[in-house]
Amino acid sequence: MTAPNPDTLKQVKSLDRPAAVFAVAAAPGSQRVYLASQDFKVYGADLAADKVEPKELYAHGSYVTGVALAGKHLVSGGYDRKLVWWDAEAGKEMRRVDAHGKWIRKVVASPDGKLVASVADDMACKLWDAASGKLVRDLRGHKEQTPHDFPSMLYAAAFSADGKRLATADKVGHVAVWEVESGKEVAAVEAPVMYTWDPVQRLHSIGGVRSVAFSPDGKLLAAGGTGKIGNIDHLEGKARVEVFDWSAGKRVAEFQSDKFNGLVNRLAFAPDGSWLLGAGGANEGFLLFFDAAAKKVLRQEKVPMHVHDFALSADAKSLVCVGHNRITTHTLG
Amino acid sequence: MSTFCGAADHAVSRRAFLGAAAAGAAVAADMTGLDILGSPALAGELKKGQKRVILLWLAGGASQLETWDPKPGASTGGPFAAIPTDVPGLHISELMPEMAKRMKTTCVIRGLNTKNGDHGAAAKIMMRGRRDEAGLRYPDLGAVVAREMGRADSPVPDYVTFYTQTEGRGMAPGDAGFLGARYAPMELTTSPTPENIRRPAGLSDDDHLARADLRDLLGKDFARGRSSDALASQGEAYGRVRGLMASDSLFDISKEPQKVRDRYGPTQFGRQCLQARRLVEAGVPFVRVARAWWDSHGQNFETHQEMVPDLDRVMAALIDDLGDRGLRDDVLVLTLAEFGRTPAINASLGRDHFASAWSMTMTGCGAKGGAVYGKTDAKGNTVTHEEVNAANLFATIYAALGINPHKNYYVGSRPVPLVDPGAEPVAAVLS
Repeated sequence: MTAPNPDTLKQVKSLDRPAAVFAVAAAPGSQRVYLASQDFKVYGADLAADKVEPKELYAHGSYVTGVALAGKHLVSGGYDRKLVWWDAEAGKEMRRVDAHGKWIRKVVASPDGKLVASVADDMACKLWDAASGKLVRDLRGHKEQTPHDFPSMLYAAAFSADGKRLATADKVGHVAVWEVESGKEVAAVEAPVMYTWDPVQRLHSIGGVRSVAFSPDGKLLAAGGTGKIGNIDHLEGKARVEVFDWSAGKRVAEFQSDKFNGLVNRLAFAPDGSWLLGAGGANEGFLLFFDAAAKKVLRQEKVPMHVHDFALSADAKSLVCVGHNRITTHTLG
Repeated sequence: MSTFCGAADHAVSRRAFLGAAAAGAAVAADMTGLDILGSPALAGELKKGQKRVILLWLAGGASQLETWDPKPGASTGGPFAAIPTDVPGLHISELMPEMAKRMKTTCVIRGLNTKNGDHGAAAKIMMRGRRDEAGLRYPDLGAVVAREMGRADSPVPDYVTFYTQTEGRGMAPGDAGFLGARYAPMELTTSPTPENIRRPAGLSDDDHLARADLRDLLGKDFARGRSSDALASQGEAYGRVRGLMASDSLFDISKEPQKVRDRYGPTQFGRQCLQARRLVEAGVPFVRVARAWWDSHGQNFETHQEMVPDLDRVMAALIDDLGDRGLRDDVLVLTLAEFGRTPAINASLGRDHFASAWSMTMTGCGAKGGAVYGKTDAKGNTVTHEEVNAANLFATIYAALGINPHKNYYVGSRPVPLVDPGAEPVAAVLS
């Protein structure tokens, strides 16, 4: 399948929201989406409707930061440390699990929909049986403390397209690759530029690897975040993506936007691997298209909000972005 | 109950202190001999009367919503939960589980409205309790406490300030204002111990004494026939050099048992707070430990997730340590900053400057543990009850220390009250 050209990107809708939306999951083949929101709630919405009116499904006890759709099972996670299973067909809550000891940062589903992975600031990545809610694996390896004796954070997770590998990434730029079947850490790469520790002016840190994505063939692993920041009061580092040949432990490309500052919160490769899309923001938001093979930036596009997450359809012709008090929809091709 | 110290008590303590110092060893004469922490006689005298202050200066503006005045569930509340404390009905941020167990020791003022959201100007206001006037630079809290609580012949500094980070340091310098150099702080910035405090290796003690005598002789000669506060202040400052030179061991936390050091933790803030405890225990009236930099315009929650647990652990350790040493009634621990942070959360998930409704704490001395004064609205945007401005706050701090906030200093013949006229202490937070 040939992916559409990034030059054809076009914004279709822009919808205001009363709070930030941190994550989105899209039902395959439709414009039905599920939204994880700053107002502690999970919403369902039909983006095809003339008047889009997200409907509250249920609530967490804090910011909802991850949502994944695995078959009929919608699984959300939040800063309340809980995972909630929701039957998207029946429209009812199935279970609520005390999943982690600290904030849950992201929830992702495996490509076959059998597993759900959650990552949290307890520095654990937990694999769950999507149907039963049973804990399958507890992957440990990310350090709990930064080198400067402060708590670290585990921000990102992504499955490979074949579901055999899982990548996780933390605040200090450590990116681990796990074998899903065995739960073994099989490789690691480092992106330390994305972590800024300021020992002189402000004595704290900012940044971290906020997003990871495997290429469709599973050979490349992209990590997104921000470049070094001079004044860490603000997200003023350049948006940054690094691409690794993870099995060789080698970085093969790096991109730093010359147009946008902020965090790259979400990454995804085109289905044919011809481009890599990164989205994020600081006070404003962006979409960045890269050609990982040619090591060049294809397109840098402003969007009307800091983007926290997106859902890209399987054919890459439809894109839903969610972020600071806004949802946008886009088409490609 | 009177909250003001009687001068006679101080006089007794001073005589006892000086007597003990003289009997203990020629403290100031021997540069390695300052051992107040090891002298029960001296420590006992200090415990009886002298009030001291440790100011935890949260430079850049820590968020009240992520510390002392959480608004869980409000649109402005952020992601953190509130947790109950040992004071029934009082909840603080979940980032502070250690302090939650110790709020009976601490009072919270939640209704600060200090009106200025500019770092530099606000820092001056919150260090001095007021704005400078044209032609009159007010002394900051440390200088006033040094003046009120310091002892003329004390072998220890009167006012020490730690400010290691560079951000904001220039905006909030220790400043003795019209009180002059005698009450200016000993400032520690990049080094954990005072720099240039030791006698140079090539200079003998006799030579050092001879130099001091010569400087004194020339100074007195110069001052003859002249009347100047600056001259007098300068002379007093030089007169204390020998004592200050002997104080460097107070900064050495390796002299503390490992379990005490562990309690404060491995961070710079922890180490400096332990140094502060050693200093106040030795009689230093005022120590500021500046912990910069909280100015979280971007990623406020990440910043507070990183920094508040350190504040929580270290502050709890300090309170426990002071309690264990019988010093809690005599040492006032303050958390204060130039301002707090906006309830509104910006696109970078940050909070901006906000002086309209924020919080501070007072622990020990004359502060009423467990008291909460002031209330903000459901979103934290305004003070709805018991508003406190900078002048009220400083009147309260002075009262907690037993200093009459309405006393006058004199600049020339002009009486200058310690706080703005009309400002009264908040009696509800004083024990």
